[in-house]
Amino acid sequence: MTRETFGRLVTTEPATGRITFTELWGARTLDLADLYRRSARVARWLLGHGIRPGDRIGIHAANGLEWVLLDLAALRLKVETAGLEPGKFTPDSDLLTRYDLTLLCTDRHTEGPGIVPISEVTEAAGRRDLDEPALPPVTWQPEDVTTIKFTSGSTGESKGLGATAGSIDSSLRAVQEIFEHGPGDDLFVFLPLSLLQQRYWIYSALLHGHDVTVSTYEAAFAALRQVRPTVVMGVPAFYETAKRQIEARQRRGSSVTEAAQAVFGDRIRYLWTGSAPAAPSTLRFFVDAGLPIYEGYGLNETCIVTKNHPKAHREGSVGQVLRGKEVLIDADGVVHVRSDHPVNTRYLYAEPGSSEQIFAPDGTVRTGDLGHLDEDGFLFIRGRADDVIVLDNGKKVIVRPIEEQLKADPAIAECVLFCPGQTELVAVVSPAHVPADRTAITAQLASTNAALTSDERISRMILADEPFSIDNGLLTSQYKPRRRQILAAHHAAVHDPKEGIHAP
Amino acid sequence: MLPELEVTAREQFAAVLTHDVAPAALDLDADMVGHYALTSLNKVLFLTELCETTKVDLANFTEDDLAGMRTLRDVTDAIARHVGPVGS
Repeated sequence: MTRETFGRLVTTEPATGRITFTELWGARTLDLADLYRRSARVARWLLGHGIRPGDRIGIHAANGLEWVLLDLAALRLKVETAGLEPGKFTPDSDLLTRYDLTLLCTDRHTEGPGIVPISEVTEAAGRRDLDEPALPPVTWQPEDVTTIKFTSGSTGESKGLGATAGSIDSSLRAVQEIFEHGPGDDLFVFLPLSLLQQRYWIYSALLHGHDVTVSTYEAAFAALRQVRPTVVMGVPAFYETAKRQIEARQRRGSSVTEAAQAVFGDRIRYLWTGSAPAAPSTLRFFVDAGLPIYEGYGLNETCIVTKNHPKAHREGSVGQVLRGKEVLIDADGVVHVRSDHPVNTRYLYAEPGSSEQIFAPDGTVRTGDLGHLDEDGFLFIRGRADDVIVLDNGKKVIVRPIEEQLKADPAIAECVLFCPGQTELVAVVSPAHVPADRTAITAQLASTNAALTSDERISRMILADEPFSIDNGLLTSQYKPRRRQILAAHHAAVHDPKEGIHAP
Repeated sequence: MLPELEVTAREQFAAVLTHDVAPAALDLDADMVGHYALTSLNKVLFLTELCETTKVDLANFTEDDLAGMRTLRDVTDAIARHVGPVGS
């Protein structure tokens, strides 16, 4: 079944399409056919390093040409990749051992057995003596693992999950069915290529002949206005930032259309968002600005499950279920996802017991999200099952809508509700700036409580001295609050009834 | 450092923050992330916008240069090395 995707990726030189790489210094564009030929040279270079089918190589680098060449070369050799994001992983011999890597290519200055500077990939890609011989034929079976995904999870070390060729094939087909990317499109990617989903758009370009632009994170905003893509692959935090920028330009006198085009260029067909819930006000803003934005739903463990798209979208939902997926809602309202081709049936690297918590034996995933399907099959996510607080009177409180309401005030960057002793709700608030605007935050507490039932009301608010951040471990890499760590950091105050700002 | 560059930098920085801070009240030596809760994306946007306004080519800097700019003064010092009169 993977013949039409991986079969073509490993055997067929693309006839059309270009790939552009942008960094702060500028941009470089290649025909996809040229990229394909260079990837064969890199494949032969890997063979020269003793890499063989079934081996695993690590790629530890910022977005760039070499990342893509290594990934494509690995596919052409039936070699697994492990995408290791710089900043999250240190390129040393421990990394090779921990993830069973035969070779680690990195753009950082480091040395050691099995560690190769990525500049060698650049050099290999330009060597004409590596144009021969023909690469040995390879076949990817649906159950074969192509790459290791790393997921931050809610605790400690990243979990590693082998992604099967069948799951990638299924997702690529389903997305193409609804978005019909093709010649004329240019998909803009700036999130790390270590995230498999970002590499989908390169595979899509190779399969469907459209253009794709890969930017470093730092060059993203500068590149957008120069590249003028038709599709942007983003996450809610990115769109929040872009929204503020558009609003700032409007205050300086631009129309919303002019301001939006100054940020995204003038060719946007749609904006893609996922990975975390987007604020409804942000989604509405872009739609009103003439930039359709489509939210979807999926986890690392499920790949993409649902997606709004031009032919089927519903406000407030994360879209209808894609072909090859099935959404099952259990008696507690928790979303489970069954896949024709599961990403996998267990983690490859994780604490004992982690796999059993999320994977059923057939690969069905218990997402831990609460949701429901409407009569037309649109999925609505209401929060995390773990985020349901059961009070001592038996009343269940879903905390996310309350937290969202609190966060509506610009003085509050993030907040998380806890329920010490099952008797009162206590919010830990990350202020938008230091010192915190206590007056605004107290007023927001009062106005939020006014709209809630008595069981849902927040009794106290603990103001964090230091805003939650990725650096202090209180936000995930995708800017989601880490509840357990936040509670640990504020445990004494949360459990002391005298602490915090008390509701009026 | 050119005074007009500092004024522009203060205005642009205040504009990307998620909360209201008067440009004149910004501390040039405060850590932009730790003190002003600047996200990495907002930092990228701020530098992109400031370079555009001051007509300094962002290509003068590397990704590592950007990572090393921790305070507003780091930013204005770095840009001052490449800037002509603002608005020229």
